[in-house]
Amino acid sequence: MATQVNTAAVGAPAIQPRRRRRMPDGVRVNWGLTVLMAICSLIVLIPLYFAIAMALKSPAQTGTGTGFNFPWPLQWGNFRAAWDLTDTPLAFSMSLLVTVIAVVGEILVSALAAWSIVRNWDHWQFRATFVYLMLALFIPFPVVALPQVKLTAALGLDNPFGVAILHIMFQLAFNVLLFSAYIRSIPVELEESARMDGCTTLQTFRRVVMPLLAPISATVGIFAFLQSWNDFMMPQLVTANPKFQTLPVVQYLFQTQFTTNYNVAFASYLMALLPTLVAFLIGQRWVVSGIMRGSIK
Amino acid sequence: MATTALPSQPAAEPAVVPPTRTPLGLLKSIFFPVSPTYLLMVIPAVLLFTFFIMYPAVQGAIWSFTNFVGYGTSRFIGFANYKAAFADPTVRASYGFTLLFAVVACVFTNVVAMALAIGLNAKIRWRAGFRTIFFLPMVLSGLVVSYIFTFIISTSVPIISSAVHFAPLESSILANQHLAWLGVVFVASWVAIPGAIIIFLAGLVSIPSEVYEAASIDGASPWRQFQKMTFPLLFPFFIINTILTFKGFLNVYDISVGLTGGGPGTATTSVAMTIFNGFFNGDYAYQMANAVIFFLITLLFAIFQLSVIRRRGGSL
Amino acid sequence: MMKTLGAGAAALAAASLPAGCSSSGGVTRIVFEETKPEVVPYFNNLVAKFNAAHPDIVVTHDFTSNLIAEFVRGNTPAIDCDNYNLTTSIFVARGVLADLSGLPQAKLIEPNIQALVTQYASYHGETSILPYSVAAEGVIYNVELFDKAGISSVPTTWSEFLAACEKFKSANITPIFQTFGDNWTTQQGLFDYTVGGMIDVAGFYRQLNAAGTSLGPSSPVSFEKDFTAPCQRMLSLAPYFNENPIAKHYGDGNLAFANGAAGMYMQGPWAVGEVLAINPKLKMGTFPLPATDDASQTKCRVNLDLAIWLPRSQAPGQRAAAIKFLDYLMQPAVVNAYNQANLAFSPLKGAPPQTSALVSGLNPYVRSGRFYQGAGTYVPNTIPVGNYIQEMMLTGNVAGFTSAMDSAFRRLAIRTSA
Repeated sequence: MATQVNTAAVGAPAIQPRRRRRMPDGVRVNWGLTVLMAICSLIVLIPLYFAIAMALKSPAQTGTGTGFNFPWPLQWGNFRAAWDLTDTPLAFSMSLLVTVIAVVGEILVSALAAWSIVRNWDHWQFRATFVYLMLALFIPFPVVALPQVKLTAALGLDNPFGVAILHIMFQLAFNVLLFSAYIRSIPVELEESARMDGCTTLQTFRRVVMPLLAPISATVGIFAFLQSWNDFMMPQLVTANPKFQTLPVVQYLFQTQFTTNYNVAFASYLMALLPTLVAFLIGQRWVVSGIMRGSIK
Repeated sequence: MATTALPSQPAAEPAVVPPTRTPLGLLKSIFFPVSPTYLLMVIPAVLLFTFFIMYPAVQGAIWSFTNFVGYGTSRFIGFANYKAAFADPTVRASYGFTLLFAVVACVFTNVVAMALAIGLNAKIRWRAGFRTIFFLPMVLSGLVVSYIFTFIISTSVPIISSAVHFAPLESSILANQHLAWLGVVFVASWVAIPGAIIIFLAGLVSIPSEVYEAASIDGASPWRQFQKMTFPLLFPFFIINTILTFKGFLNVYDISVGLTGGGPGTATTSVAMTIFNGFFNGDYAYQMANAVIFFLITLLFAIFQLSVIRRRGGSL
Repeated sequence: MMKTLGAGAAALAAASLPAGCSSSGGVTRIVFEETKPEVVPYFNNLVAKFNAAHPDIVVTHDFTSNLIAEFVRGNTPAIDCDNYNLTTSIFVARGVLADLSGLPQAKLIEPNIQALVTQYASYHGETSILPYSVAAEGVIYNVELFDKAGISSVPTTWSEFLAACEKFKSANITPIFQTFGDNWTTQQGLFDYTVGGMIDVAGFYRQLNAAGTSLGPSSPVSFEKDFTAPCQRMLSLAPYFNENPIAKHYGDGNLAFANGAAGMYMQGPWAVGEVLAINPKLKMGTFPLPATDDASQTKCRVNLDLAIWLPRSQAPGQRAAAIKFLDYLMQPAVVNAYNQANLAFSPLKGAPPQTSALVSGLNPYVRSGRFYQGAGTYVPNTIPVGNYIQEMMLTGNVAGFTSAMDSAFRRLAIRTSA
């Protein structure tokens, strides 16, 4: 067992990140379930079709009928108009900066903290730390918002770095919770054998634990990316200089209720969604490819 | 053997700090009984967390005892904000709606997400494609989703329903004071289910397929397999999902705003909506009091959830 | 980690000078904040013109920031031009805005428009706000459908209004398009129009706030005493609405009205632009809702769509540059041109009338001071008045509405007097 675990854990991510162990050729496909899932997927696909159709209609086409009618003729001009409205490469790079720092920071900080806590669970100090961090799950955002605005301004962090730090801290409880649940399912024997081979705590973490945490890190990363990229409140409140403002805040201006041309607004949403979609498609491969299947326990 | 896969290096530091005899060492062994590396992994994070989250939270809580509007001068007014919040029927109604909504949506989301996650982990065709489809809703922001569904529920569904003479949905359920909350449940769950699926899947992939193979050879029915194997193994992730989705639903804001604006009347006004309404509009301190009450209630709920879970033999 | 990030932040801040509080090489940089989305390009243009003419001042237009956060942080813009409402009036009440009464521009403004400012709040008799643009609202009507239904002129009394509705009905045209789906549309239209047309709104709230914690059956005014009649009048229009207004939203209303689905639509000038985007050929006009049978009592709803203020605490250099920019913005030609171009009304004395036929029906009312700020706009956001109105429209329960409002204001008074 241990041998198998180790080869998979240490070798798999490097050698073949996308191994399909569940469906080797010859395994019978469950067609009944496939059909059922296809029917269920309509609940997702229909509203998405609606959004895309909406972005491709003229205001006059919008009001006729159920909204599901095919957008014909296609109004590509909506995307053009949306692009012109949000011609803000700077805002885009600010969003990217905040998101990258937040994603990397969230994974690192919370993985380290969660591992340290779980592996020292016998000490009450670590259990207390865990509970202390979990408290943040229940703090409503408005309670901390204005004091955070004051704090970041006083520290000179009223800029994208401050926003990213706040994202990391705000999500810490959520992420530690996810990581610690996952770490509990990793057999500690692996780490022990690494130590016997002379690995330090940090080396054990880097060489043994972190690779094992890949699926949950991808999960945390996806959540972090979505949360950070789409966040409106925090950057709007914290960022002092409008030049450093992120995309959702700059975009919001053109999406308020009095000015909304629904079609252009939807085109603009869909465009804003593209980076998220790409990041998401990359990230989810890690989660779902099942690289860790059979490698744990 | 395990050793073959691991790089061997000379020991740089022992895993456990040996007890020292100096007074400082004694103190250390009481307060920091583990390797300093472990401490370095967690202490900076906790300090930053205290500084950026807990300290602001305490400050916000203190302001709930004042008439502060966010700037300028203010003075302490004792528990006046709290008394007023308890007497406010709008606030009370918002708690009623929010709790009912959160419980129902939490159950619905977790049941559906678990079923879908198991389906997405089974031997189905185009599995990767299906997974992508079911994850997609989480990419959309809540406001966009609520725009989409406002149109679908109040325009498309009634037209289609009257065409097929299905009376219950011929008029928008969002326009019905008694049923609008179900619309909010549906849409909020639609947004939350993908996240819950991902967490369940992260758990499912850690169940070795050999376990299932052994079970199907034993002739266990799918339901029995679920009951006896899948669910117990998924239990930690089930706990996490319940807590996270419940917490998320308690804070429902953008879906409620976008879908119903808290209406009809005040039927779907959530606590977060009442807090945000006052937040930027000169009622800061009052809504801080509301937020503190809300924090305590959610905390109580979480403790309750955890104690139920513990009684059933689970742990975090 | 903190240290690196802090250093990085400093580097970022240094890389691009934070437009705000710096003056180097004889150039003063100031931030001008204006966040009304539709006119951001218009003001960008004004800012560019000003910057070109004043090499010693660089004005940056901020259209994304959050004012509350800026006050919390203490980095307020040097000059702001935004919507003035009950929420922004708190800046006035808390004394964080500069006194502009000494400026020559303060004397240019029509006194009855300036008076709108203090209806929400005032601070020691100072002039904290200079109105820049007045938006006026009434009943938008479809000119062609008026002709088709045989209505020869816009109604000037309540009876004439009802007669017009009847004519529409007999011509098989929906008289009024109403959207209850959103919680704000009925409040800012129908509700504000009927209440404002029947009672003295500013006087009512003045007395209401004076009554404070004693608000009740014995106080001089209350929602129960003063709002019952207007609310009943408003509900009496229900037979003239489109089908199922509760399922209709603002966007649906614009679309329906643009496609000629109804004769009248109670929305502000913002909706006119949306309607024209859908049907550019639609001929529309606006008249104030006559809520009584005394035509001389008819008034229109207004709001200070844009108003200028400066923060009280400000470095002298910043103040001087801000005032220079204010001088530029407040030139009668600039103010009047802005309002003409944006379907609004200039607050200056002797300003030319609005020439666009879309809203020119409101000219006589605005110029003669026959206007009010909407009854709903005096209600703090803590009280969800829009939702209460929506509920009243659904249930027809006027007494429930007025008692909910009375008790909400009483609780507010108890809380704020603590």
